[in-house]
Amino acid sequence: MSGEAIALIMSGLLLLGLFMGHPLALVLGGTAVLGAFIADRPQVLGIVINRIFGDVLDNYVLIAIPLFVLMARFLSDSGVTDRMFEALRHLMSRVKGGLGLAVVFISILLAATTGIIGASITVMGVMALKPMLQYGYDKRLATGLIGASGCLGILIPPSIMLILMASYAPGLSVGQLFAGAMVPGLLLGVMYAIYVVAVAWIKPDWAPRIAEADQISRGAMWKLLLVEAVPPLILILGILGSLLAGIATATEASAIGALLALLIVIFRGRFKWSTFYSALLETGRTSAMILFIVVGATAFTGVFNITGGLRASQDLIRGLADDPYTLVAVMLLVVFILGMFLDWTGIVLLSFPIFLPLVAEMGIDPLWFVVLMAVVLQTSFLSPPFGYALFYMRAIAPPDVRTTDIIVGVLPFIALIILMCGAMILFPALVTWLPATLYGG
Amino acid sequence: MPIIRLIDGINEVVGRIVSLVALIFAAIIIYDVFMRYVLGQPTRWAFDVTKQLYGFYFIMLGGYALNHQAHVRVDLLTATMRPAMRRWVEVAGYVIFFFPFAWIFATRSWTFAMTSWNQGEVTYGAVALPVYPLKMAMFVAACLLLIQGVSEVLKLILDRAPHIYGNDPVQQEPTHVR
Amino acid sequence: ETWTMTSTWPSSLELIEIDRKWVENVGKMVDPEVLTIEFYDGGSLVPAGEVFGAVESGTIQAGADWPGYWAGRNPAFSPLATTASLFNAVDYVNWIQEWGGADLYNEIYGQFGMVYLPYGVTNNESGFRTVSQPIRTVDDLQGLRLRLSGLEQGRLLEKLGGSQVSMAGGEIYQSLERGVIDGAEFSTPNVDFSGGFQQVTSYWSTPGWHQSSSVFGVMINKNSWDALDEATQERLRLAADATMLWSLSFTERRANEAYRQFEEAGTEINRLDDAALERIQELANETIVEVACENRDSARVYASMIGYLEDYATWRTASAPFDLGRTPNGPDLAEIEACAQ
Ligand code: NA
Ligand code: NA
Repeated sequence: MSGEAIALIMSGLLLLGLFMGHPLALVLGGTAVLGAFIADRPQVLGIVINRIFGDVLDNYVLIAIPLFVLMARFLSDSGVTDRMFEALRHLMSRVKGGLGLAVVFISILLAATTGIIGASITVMGVMALKPMLQYGYDKRLATGLIGASGCLGILIPPSIMLILMASYAPGLSVGQLFAGAMVPGLLLGVMYAIYVVAVAWIKPDWAPRIAEADQISRGAMWKLLLVEAVPPLILILGILGSLLAGIATATEASAIGALLALLIVIFRGRFKWSTFYSALLETGRTSAMILFIVVGATAFTGVFNITGGLRASQDLIRGLADDPYTLVAVMLLVVFILGMFLDWTGIVLLSFPIFLPLVAEMGIDPLWFVVLMAVVLQTSFLSPPFGYALFYMRAIAPPDVRTTDIIVGVLPFIALIILMCGAMILFPALVTWLPATLYGG
Repeated sequence: MPIIRLIDGINEVVGRIVSLVALIFAAIIIYDVFMRYVLGQPTRWAFDVTKQLYGFYFIMLGGYALNHQAHVRVDLLTATMRPAMRRWVEVAGYVIFFFPFAWIFATRSWTFAMTSWNQGEVTYGAVALPVYPLKMAMFVAACLLLIQGVSEVLKLILDRAPHIYGNDPVQQEPTHVR
Repeated sequence: ETWTMTSTWPSSLELIEIDRKWVENVGKMVDPEVLTIEFYDGGSLVPAGEVFGAVESGTIQAGADWPGYWAGRNPAFSPLATTASLFNAVDYVNWIQEWGGADLYNEIYGQFGMVYLPYGVTNNESGFRTVSQPIRTVDDLQGLRLRLSGLEQGRLLEKLGGSQVSMAGGEIYQSLERGVIDGAEFSTPNVDFSGGFQQVTSYWSTPGWHQSSSVFGVMINKNSWDALDEATQERLRLAADATMLWSLSFTERRANEAYRQFEEAGTEINRLDDAALERIQELANETIVEVACENRDSARVYASMIGYLEDYATWRTASAPFDLGRTPNGPDLAEIEACAQ
């Protein structure tokens, strides 16, 4: 059977399984098995086990994933974010759109301590959405802002997405990707902040100022800020600092981060054995969920490759694009469209084996390309119909916020992400400057 | 049905115990970091041992995660279906995708583990750690996943799957997933 | 017949050129109707560590490797891949072709249902590259944490006062850069240069006593091999011989070019003196006897290799200075032979 036919059949099965609502990990694995039988080469299924063992179980880099998940959970148990948000909310209350700015800044800070988005969006949603709506913020602006800012957690390092990407991009290390994503991640946060301020100026009733009565004294505010800001800063320095300064590997940093987060829980008097135990159980389920997608995807790509589907897909893209810019544009578009329907894990694992060899062929800097992918994947959380940020916001928002409000609300932020991608294409140094400074050419 | 309770119970017990393994490998990494950077005497075994513990940890939790409906899925269409229709579509998903994969995963990893066992395979370096226990764990994990699939299908057929009646598109743990 | 073949080397490592050359040579000699080899870069079908298992199980028909990766399955794979201060590339060629080496490869791989065609040799590896402390004498090894692969190699380093850190090739650069290790050995100078080691290390200590030369080749599933007619089998062997000769001069030329590139990049290069190498030789001999006596297959391979060195010593010495390399003052043959029984 030809590579084209097998590529078509396996893609079709993948879509079928997804729309049947079957777990993604198992749809990928099942499609691998069916694909091998349909191609009449069941003997190739041996590589499925070789790949699962060698790529997923025997993989030092991926150890960081459960540990960063555990750290995020400890951090939210510590209550550190709630208090910091309180402080920042008061600090910003004097500015137009101040509450919105507080959301962006806390999200950036949270993003720099955790590697996952669920924690950020839920924590911010629970804390910030109610006061925002109460002070008369536009529903769409409030939900869109919280959702989009929360997604920065998986772009600004540490990030489990970048860890997974490093593990699947030959020659790129976690440290390089973290350094590469730092500037674009922070800039995207700054763009969100500018957007909020701009809206507050143009449409003051969308982002009103907080009433005087709700403000606290400057002294009290600074005290609150100093007390609350210190623990997360220690965490950021401990993890990112040690990693980027070249003291520890990502795996080591994740273990240290989990320990530091646990210490914060203990020192704030929030430690309880029952919470600790449920944090471990939840981390186990979340880690298994993420890593089983890796299992399914490695099975899928193995069979897809050996039966010729991969080469056929690459030839198809090659036919569409004969210069680097068109190639990158085509790939970004593909990722954007996949992002409407698929989870980021699946997108990374399915597209990297197809894209990266083509990128190398064209002489495109793989570091720049992978970070560009990471930025465009921000849209996958926001774009309907399937987007985690949308789901989380839906789960948190009060009933009078309609789902369409949430969807309309994220659209400007999707536009800002696309703008950011454009900036990265025009100015590659946004990505490459920091890694080059830290690690040399 | 006792078989459902038995299977769910097995994976629940496995999940509750194996979830603790994260603490062990976190502790080993921290110990190794301490030995290396503070005392200047790195351990020779930490690298391989943490890697094996991590592999054991997540692979054994596959069935447990399935029992908790924690595996991410796209229920755009199914969430809008009538419960009866949705149940049968989900059963079909298990038949078409889950069982072929879980079956191949289990049978092939059995051969894989047995080859390693017969060869007495160890890691290659000054510290020789046996590799076959992890490969055997992979087989056990595949079996745990397989039986959990049986339980899930029985629950769907007998109309005892609680997630069918929740219309929330976010799964069980909206707070921390990712 | 169509074979699927992969390699332990990703496309970014120059070692893959040897594998590609063999496939290309086979393509020139064998009618594609009879046999076509579809070659996949390392990592695209199965991870490097799983190539052995994939060929053994017949999932794929052929896999290119460096035998040392499989020493966890049988320690005898280690001397089939490299030696600590013993063989140079020509010794491997001599031994494989005319002193019975080829049979031992097929015997050891045969235990796993595979046929082996050695088709690549590289001469001496670079040696250690260090970040901040030069290794000018053996004493400088004291207390260093060095990335090094191999069982014999690790034990030898420990005897010299250093400690072995095992890590995959892809992690070495970052680990050097962030001081996780003090230094590393990886491969020949050209492969090292392509890995960017000149950017993160200032010192280079030659020669590569830990890995005096290396062998590369292809594992072929026995059933797939047996399915070929004898003429085709013979062509595959001839392609392997042709590739082996090419690999020697190709990598030597490339290593020489890369040596100059390291010099230009400002790397300080120190060669250990002969007295140091003599000391290392003694400890290497000790280690080899130790390891050989822990495993009978390993002892048999070493016995054959050392037997070759002693046998060839007569003519090699007589033809000095126009001889091919040196006759090392190697381990005691009788001791190893006793362990091979
Ligand atoms: Na982050
Ligand atoms: Na989406």
